[in-house]
Amino acid sequence: MPASAPQGLRERPAQRGGAHAPPRHATAGAPRARRPEDHRPALRPRIMRAVAPPRPRVLLTTEGTYPYAVGGVSSWCDLLVKNLHEFDWQVLPIVAPHGRPPLYELPAHARQVGRIEVWSETLPMGRRLRPSERRAGAELPAVLVRGLLGWNGDYDAVVGAFVWCRKHPAGVRRVFRSRRGWESFLWGLRRVLAERIPEAGSPPALDMVEAAQLYQTLYWVARTAVEPTPATDVLHVTAAGWSAVPALVHKALHGTPMILTEHGVFVREAYLAAVRSGGSPGSRFTATRLARGLARAAYAGADVVSPVTDANGVWERGLGIDPAKIHVLYNGLRQPAPPTPPPGNRVVVSVGRIDPLKDVHTMLRVAKETLRHVPDARFLHYGPVTEGQEAYGRACDALHEQLGLGDRFRFMGRTKDPDGVVRDADVVLMTSISEGLPMSILEAMGQGRPVVSTGVGGVPDVVRGCGVVVPPGDVHGLAMAVTTLLRQPALADQLGRRGHGRLGRIFNEAACVDGYRELLGAAARSGHTAVER
Amino acid sequence: MDTTTISAERAGRLVEARLDRLPQDMLEAAVVLEAWAGVPAGRALDAGRELMAVRTPEREKSAGALPEAPVREGFAAEAVSFVLAVVAIACWAAPLARELGAEVLRVGLLVALPLTLALQWGLRSRYLGRKDGLAHLGRHRLRLVLLPLLLTGGLTAGLGEGGTVAALLTLTWTAGTVLIARRWSALYAGGVIAATAAMLAGVPALPVLAVTAALATVAVAAAVRVPVGDILHAPGRARRALAAMAIGAGLGTLLVADPTVDWTVGAVPALALLPSTVASFWGGYHLWSFQQVIPRALSGVPVAGPDARNPAWPGLRVLFGAVGRLVAATVVLSGLLMLAGDVFGSRTSGVSVLAAFGLVALLTLIVSLLESVGRAGWALLSVATAVGGELLVGVAGGEPFPAAGLIGGAALALAVALPGAVSLLARPARTLATALWIA
Repeated sequence: MPASAPQGLRERPAQRGGAHAPPRHATAGAPRARRPEDHRPALRPRIMRAVAPPRPRVLLTTEGTYPYAVGGVSSWCDLLVKNLHEFDWQVLPIVAPHGRPPLYELPAHARQVGRIEVWSETLPMGRRLRPSERRAGAELPAVLVRGLLGWNGDYDAVVGAFVWCRKHPAGVRRVFRSRRGWESFLWGLRRVLAERIPEAGSPPALDMVEAAQLYQTLYWVARTAVEPTPATDVLHVTAAGWSAVPALVHKALHGTPMILTEHGVFVREAYLAAVRSGGSPGSRFTATRLARGLARAAYAGADVVSPVTDANGVWERGLGIDPAKIHVLYNGLRQPAPPTPPPGNRVVVSVGRIDPLKDVHTMLRVAKETLRHVPDARFLHYGPVTEGQEAYGRACDALHEQLGLGDRFRFMGRTKDPDGVVRDADVVLMTSISEGLPMSILEAMGQGRPVVSTGVGGVPDVVRGCGVVVPPGDVHGLAMAVTTLLRQPALADQLGRRGHGRLGRIFNEAACVDGYRELLGAAARSGHTAVER
Repeated sequence: MDTTTISAERAGRLVEARLDRLPQDMLEAAVVLEAWAGVPAGRALDAGRELMAVRTPEREKSAGALPEAPVREGFAAEAVSFVLAVVAIACWAAPLARELGAEVLRVGLLVALPLTLALQWGLRSRYLGRKDGLAHLGRHRLRLVLLPLLLTGGLTAGLGEGGTVAALLTLTWTAGTVLIARRWSALYAGGVIAATAAMLAGVPALPVLAVTAALATVAVAAAVRVPVGDILHAPGRARRALAAMAIGAGLGTLLVADPTVDWTVGAVPALALLPSTVASFWGGYHLWSFQQVIPRALSGVPVAGPDARNPAWPGLRVLFGAVGRLVAATVVLSGLLMLAGDVFGSRTSGVSVLAAFGLVALLTLIVSLLESVGRAGWALLSVATAVGGELLVGVAGGEPFPAAGLIGGAALALAVALPGAVSLLARPARTLATALWIA
């Protein structure tokens, strides 16, 4: 049995720029096909180069978000893609095979360069494996399970395995369907389960069903590595998870600089989901360890990690990122108009998906307690039920019924005018247990409304002096804060105006866009320099 | 609560209170402390690490969640409709042979049976056996109308009247598969029974057949107009569907390649299919539970360390149970059919023909199991063996009794296919991981 990644899977990453000589395009949105003048020799191309410098290309990899779903990450992607028109954007989403059209229209200087469908029936094309490749490939599942699930997994081995997948697209399925592949996986998994590291606890005794489920998931991780990526100058990954996989392979093959932006913290959210899931110890273990393994690989591969808030940076450092790599770039909103006075209707608004991460149960209880003190208050929640969380949505309805809130707390569904609904509020409430830098709070600040929120993620950094921050799940604390602000409109107005000012100074859209312009431009230049060297 | 400093002991109490157990590792402890106790991230990570240094949880036993069993609604109605359709169609042979001649009907059946089975297997593999299959098929409505015209035109041009009959029968039978998948089996059975009544009442058989085929095609075009909504599941792979078509064509060829089984002599040979068809419904229904039985058998069996149970047995028991049901039902129903023939004074097929159809049903069951878990190569080899064996018996033995070739070929193929099925179910963990859950 293998002791470590085989030679075949330890293919060395290319030296930066070694294989990186991509064609350039002179204008934004220009057709990709070569035009007749491109074939003219001698002088003309040189002149063209001097007049129109090459436009850097950015490969943006997403998972479950842009351009197929709405939400904070998608809005942020759209902001960058539409505002940074000096780059040619190549969007590579990872999605479930739903066949729906994109929800965002890409501008002329952006195009979708493929679509990685996980759990689909399609198979990648490619030649059959030679016997030696088949032998080396049989160890692929073992390398992945040890590298991604082991507490101290070998990053180089994982990336080597991903590169092997890219080079043998048709071989991955063959390997995972083979007896040898399964046996090597079991061997690797047993090694992981036998680890004894104090901070890692004791791995649970997984059963065969959980092992088979993990095997299937690793197969899809490998399939994600298979998908080809186009020639590009900068890799921009939008989550430290699956979307990092194609970028890691591209970087290993071409030495292209890689930037990772984390809105939430991928590992943290995986743990939260596992805790809430009520699943078996084995399913919790495999889900969280896989997330941690993918995140570690993404962190190791990224040249720059740009969280949207300092709090995420703390987590990232805690997960082992070199602090020198971390470069916080806040989300931002367009500079809003001067705030209007609060309506004084004692309306509390919350905006967000109906999702366990938003802890809507706590919000309902806060409403119940607030209504004891301010009986004429009204709570309006805007946002749809997250896809896949329909059971949670029903549980919220049941709790609403049980608490007897009636019309005093209403679920309003999706809104197309978040600014408008926030403007009609006296207080904006957020009860999340996990956040990066929530847009709903920035929107509240933009309209000059005070915020009452749980102190998670980047919230305390944002709501400094312009609202009340309470520990997550603290129903009494949240209700008291809401009550105080409803009863003291002057204080609420003062906090709201402070927030408005703070948003303009720190969390504005222009600063966010400029930050990424600088970061991506520097990355593209560093990539070019490496090529020239 | 002061959340800037927190002792390992206090952190442990907070985490245990939230989780109702010890944390899995330091990260879980840190996440709980931050999300539910408001401890700042940096401090929560430190506290999580300190906590795990003093309190390491015992290794927990785990059992994975089992996949939900698919709901099979309307199975009985589907089976009854199918049987009614088989009986009705069996009654078409006499009027068609009388009107067009036995040779035309023979040619028609020779082409129609393999072609229909190929199309049925292909459609099931790519569309009808998939969750959003009908919606995907609905995207090709124009082709669903044009292809029947091309098929009828092509076969008529190539084979004359026999080709026309082949095309019309193929369209009618294939449409039945789509309509049954759409749960419109009653409509299909009703249409076929009406056509039978018309033929038996003396209406010219070929026009009746043509109208039936046309109406069935229109019904299919209507049946696939399902609300597309959110299509969450992709259709089956084209290459896999092609392999399935080859298997179906092989099984069809097996049925028609034995010259001692004459399909043109009234309703008798087609009615002889009835016992094995009903039996295969029962056996098949039982066999498909293996997809739930295998995970159940593996639930709680640890990856590391021995287990008292043998997880192979439940899967094998399903296979043997399915085979037993099929054989028993075929024997009983064949006996009843022969008895009915004696009572009503009509000639029935011989015992050997009924046994041959039973063996073909058994082979179809095993081959479809192999195909469904992605072992199409093995399934194809088995079918090819069957056809080869059948032809060999015909050439070498001179057919000592009716359907001897069919029996020989099917038995030979079962000898190839059965070990494959047994070996799959005898290694349930590997089959689950490498075959069932990786398509």
